Amino acid sequence: MVSLLKMPDSLQQHLRRETNEPPNEPREIAVEIDDVDFAYGAHQVLFDVDLAIPPRAVTAFIGPSGCGKTTLLRCINRMNDLIDGARLTQGSIKIDNVDINAPEVDVVDLRRRVGMVFQKSNPFPKSIYENIAYGLRIAGVKKRRAIDEAVEKSLRAAALWDEVKDRLEKNAFGLSGGQQQRLCIARALAVEPQVVLMDEPCSALDPIATAKIEELIHQLKSEYTIIIVTHNMQQAGRVSDSTAFFYLGRLIEFDATEKIFSNPGEKRTEDYITGRFG
Amino acid sequence: MIAPKHILGNFDEALAALRNNVMMMASLTERSLDRALEGLFKRNDDLCANAIADDEEIDQLEKQIDKDGVDILLRYQPVASDLRRVVSAMKLSSNLERMADQATTIARRARKLNRHPPLPEIDLIRPMYEQAMSMFKDSVDAYAREDVDLGRSIVPRDDKLDDLNRAASRKLIQRMAEDPEQLRGYLNLIFIGRCLERVGDHATNIAEDAVYAAAAEDIRHQPFVPSS
Repeated sequence: MVSLLKMPDSLQQHLRRETNEPPNEPREIAVEIDDVDFAYGAHQVLFDVDLAIPPRAVTAFIGPSGCGKTTLLRCINRMNDLIDGARLTQGSIKIDNVDINAPEVDVVDLRRRVGMVFQKSNPFPKSIYENIAYGLRIAGVKKRRAIDEAVEKSLRAAALWDEVKDRLEKNAFGLSGGQQQRLCIARALAVEPQVVLMDEPCSALDPIATAKIEELIHQLKSEYTIIIVTHNMQQAGRVSDSTAFFYLGRLIEFDATEKIFSNPGEKRTEDYITGRFG
Repeated sequence: MIAPKHILGNFDEALAALRNNVMMMASLTERSLDRALEGLFKRNDDLCANAIADDEEIDQLEKQIDKDGVDILLRYQPVASDLRRVVSAMKLSSNLERMADQATTIARRARKLNRHPPLPEIDLIRPMYEQAMSMFKDSVDAYAREDVDLGRSIVPRDDKLDDLNRAASRKLIQRMAEDPEQLRGYLNLIFIGRCLERVGDHATNIAEDAVYAAAAEDIRHQPFVPSS
């Protein structure tokens, strides 16, 4: 019941409309963020964040620079573990009801289940094929045929297959920026994650490449839970089902995107999205 | 409610200009309706001619508001209350333009009536005029002041105007049978009554748009619920 309180009614109604679910059925939760405080050393950057991220939907994190949205995103696959002194000082993040920060959780397995796509595309300096096969091999897939199939499947899922199928052995750096970013998405999808985190995935791309990624996000959400950090309000409006607005390390408002962008409940949200901030 | 300043000063200016044009259009429309009805009551063809002439300026303002609204959508992609302000301004202008068209029709009918001896049944029009204009002024006021309660209160007032129109039509049809000599005159009065009834409908639309702009609430096609 506690979890449901974190997911506003208007958002639940929106998700039910999208998925034709019967009313009054409790919503599943893909990622449950419970009362989280987070600090880099002595510097606290997140305060009491409570959020229930719905599965198979796109959730956008928005807010001004330094509001903590990327930090929270990186908490979800424990990318912050790589930074000295960075730690959750309170609360928990659960996926499938398991606290991802519990000592028994294997962080490599967690990052397989929670893939990530970064602001700047970062393909490995290898062939297109190897970029995707690499993660599969790490995950223990050895059979060439299984890898071939997974490479094709992921490239198709990332809407890149038709553009690269004849040059799989070519270096990934030969691809355009937008193609490289879709390759990174394909790489994340190859290991069949539950959740895909995207940290401003289109900020370095032209409008056409951006539109392709957005279309891809739209297609992927039927199978994956997607969380996207974006500074582009219009993008958040276009691609997401739910939007969370952060300010100074606090979650100010979380609701269905159509509600946030048409009639937000909080004045600070309204001021931010309409460009009347500070 | 005055929103804090936008980071882009141009945006605030564009929004203010849009709103000013809507207010200008509303006052011209009010003047045009007043002139048309005064032209009828005072049997003054000059006032009728003025009402008809006003329409041109109002039409131009409608086009200007549509152009400016689209321009704002294109340049700034407003959201939330800003988006509602732009959308409601464009909807208001369309309703105002149609009200002004009613004023033109009333003025034309009034000129025809003025060519013949006065009909005492003209008194049936006056309460309709008063009701329609009070609805119109209040709806524009609700928009200008973002007054949700006032906006809501206008919608049920349209029923009274409809009743007045029905009663007047009945009476005028009866008079047509009794006095077929004046048939055209009575017919013109029926048309004028219908125009005022339409003015009330447009005022209702404006009130609904005012509520939408201020409170993001769509109150169209709903049974009236008094606000607490």
